[in-house]
Amino acid sequence: MAKKITRFQKFVMHNPFIQFFKFIYLNIKILNVVAMGHGGTRNNKK
Amino acid sequence: MAKVVVLGAGISGHTAVSYLRKNLSKEHEVVIVSPNSNYQWVPSNIWIGIGRMKPKQCTFPLAPLYKKKNITYIQAKVTTFHPEGDAKIKKGYVTAEYVVGDRKGETVKIDYDYLINATGPKLNFEATEGLKPGTHNTTSVCTYGHAVHAWSDLKKLIDRMKNGEQVKIVIGTGHAKATCQGAAFEYIMNVEQELHRYNVRDKATITWISNEYEVGDFGMDGLTVKMGSQLMSSKDLIEMVFEDRGIHIIKRAGVYKVEEGKVYYENLDGEHKVEEFDFAMLIPAFSGHGFKAYDKTGNDITDKLFKGFMIVDADYTAKPYEEWTVQDWPETYQNPNYQNIFAPGIAFAPPHTISKPRTSKNGTPIFPAPPRTGMPSGITAKLVADNIVEMIKKENNHLHHLGSMGNMGAACIASTGFGILKGRGVTITTNPIVPDYKKYPETGRINSKTIGDLGLAGHWVKLALHYAFLYKAKMKPFWWLIPE
Ligand SMILES: Cc1cc2nc3c(=O)[nH]c(=O)nc-3n(C[C@H](O)[C@H](O)[C@H](O)COP(=O)(O)OP(=O)(O)OC[C@H]3O[C@@H](n4cnc5c(N)ncnc54)[C@H](O)[C@@H]3O)c2cc1C
Repeated sequence: MAKKITRFQKFVMHNPFIQFFKFIYLNIKILNVVAMGHGGTRNNKK
Repeated sequence: MAKVVVLGAGISGHTAVSYLRKNLSKEHEVVIVSPNSNYQWVPSNIWIGIGRMKPKQCTFPLAPLYKKKNITYIQAKVTTFHPEGDAKIKKGYVTAEYVVGDRKGETVKIDYDYLINATGPKLNFEATEGLKPGTHNTTSVCTYGHAVHAWSDLKKLIDRMKNGEQVKIVIGTGHAKATCQGAAFEYIMNVEQELHRYNVRDKATITWISNEYEVGDFGMDGLTVKMGSQLMSSKDLIEMVFEDRGIHIIKRAGVYKVEEGKVYYENLDGEHKVEEFDFAMLIPAFSGHGFKAYDKTGNDITDKLFKGFMIVDADYTAKPYEEWTVQDWPETYQNPNYQNIFAPGIAFAPPHTISKPRTSKNGTPIFPAPPRTGMPSGITAKLVADNIVEMIKKENNHLHHLGSMGNMGAACIASTGFGILKGRGVTITTNPIVPDYKKYPETGRINSKTIGDLGLAGHWVKLALHYAFLYKAKMKPFWWLIPE
């Protein structure tokens, strides 16, 4: 049985005021995940 | 003076030439060879496919930009690779066929000091009988041309629904080993929302069909995301979203044939089934382009360069799923046999899938191929360009810039409905892309960097990225400050 999105969750999802802050939070989060570097996994110096 | 040739002006190739031109002085030549005349921001195709964006909002012509930036642009299609040159040409070269203008059909030899193969995937519609868009009522959103056609068909369907007709819509993967489930997911959600806008949602049964073992696999073996303070599997998340929007699910399905209004598939239980449809959008299998390679005496050396896609520094040793590690994944995207050849983006051959391989009772493999979305495509292209710039400037072959998908984050921002106030989105970030269970035994990924979120903000993020990445692709002032 799939979980259901509650009424309260829907209210949060659609409220532009709350979502504006979510927008800022998500942008920071995405930058943090994507732009904060990447690297190898093997540690072998070529 | 060095000559760097980049094949393919997609997300990866265009990113590579942009950084090469920015970081190499004018004495070095940067060449791009690609058949397309326009750059396209592929992720926005889903909005073209619901009529909410026009192709011109997602594309721009490449020739004027490349002219302005001193990048030589050859509008041609590469056909063969000659990494050792031949009796006459002492350097490596590729052959390409012009696709437009007076020289259309003519073959040219393009030599290089460094070669970046960023030709992405071949959209292999032929791998599924009858799938080619426009032949049996199925559509695609893989190119903006396909998406225009998808919208035209969808519009006709909406007109039929307005006249009271009850219809069936099927969206998902069109091959047992297809990838790009994320794009199909976005499209099904956007179509569903548009039907509400036209007041015809009650006239449609909408079905998701996919080769995923569980929904939310996305070719990444699923994820465990942090939603607020709780951990939730991507399976539960996507099931919840589908339930909310009344979308039916057919999973573990390998589509093998399409006929007028009918999708034929086999499931992991080995059953052969048929799903009827009035409108279908099915993502085809992605494959290599079938390029051939030759040594300087003309012998076929295709297997030194290609394994479907291009061979790079991955570990291609065949081993069972339980023995796969993140170390199998490439770090430099350099071909091991020819050190001046690289393949970022979708053009490189992955060592194996990320999702667990499964076969049906009849022995048919049914599981997603590994995705390489826009972010890793851009990141790997930039690191390849950075390494080549260093090789040229420092005259050595050390590759300092590394970027394995097992040590790289990505964001999947899926629009699930268009509109400034009515829009919706599912935002998922993951780090790393390929799970590393040795480093992160609980979920394979860093919990604080693998998050999920539902809501209007996700749609705004996707829209903001549309404008930001087109700005970056147009190489407008300070474009390089925008990360891949
Ligand atoms: C509908 C859709 C939605 C998507 N949404 C997202 C999203 O929201 N986020 C995300 O991160 N990713 C998304 N993706 C994935 C993303 O688009 C790809 O990861 C990305 O385009 C891969 O870049 P690439 O440069 O490797 O390949 P491509 O973009 O396919 O570029 C390949 C280039 O090579 C050229 N080429 C082909 N053959 C030859 C030849 N013989 N010679 C020379 N050139 C050739 C092609 O013309 C093209 O210009 C989506 C994909 C689709 C289809």
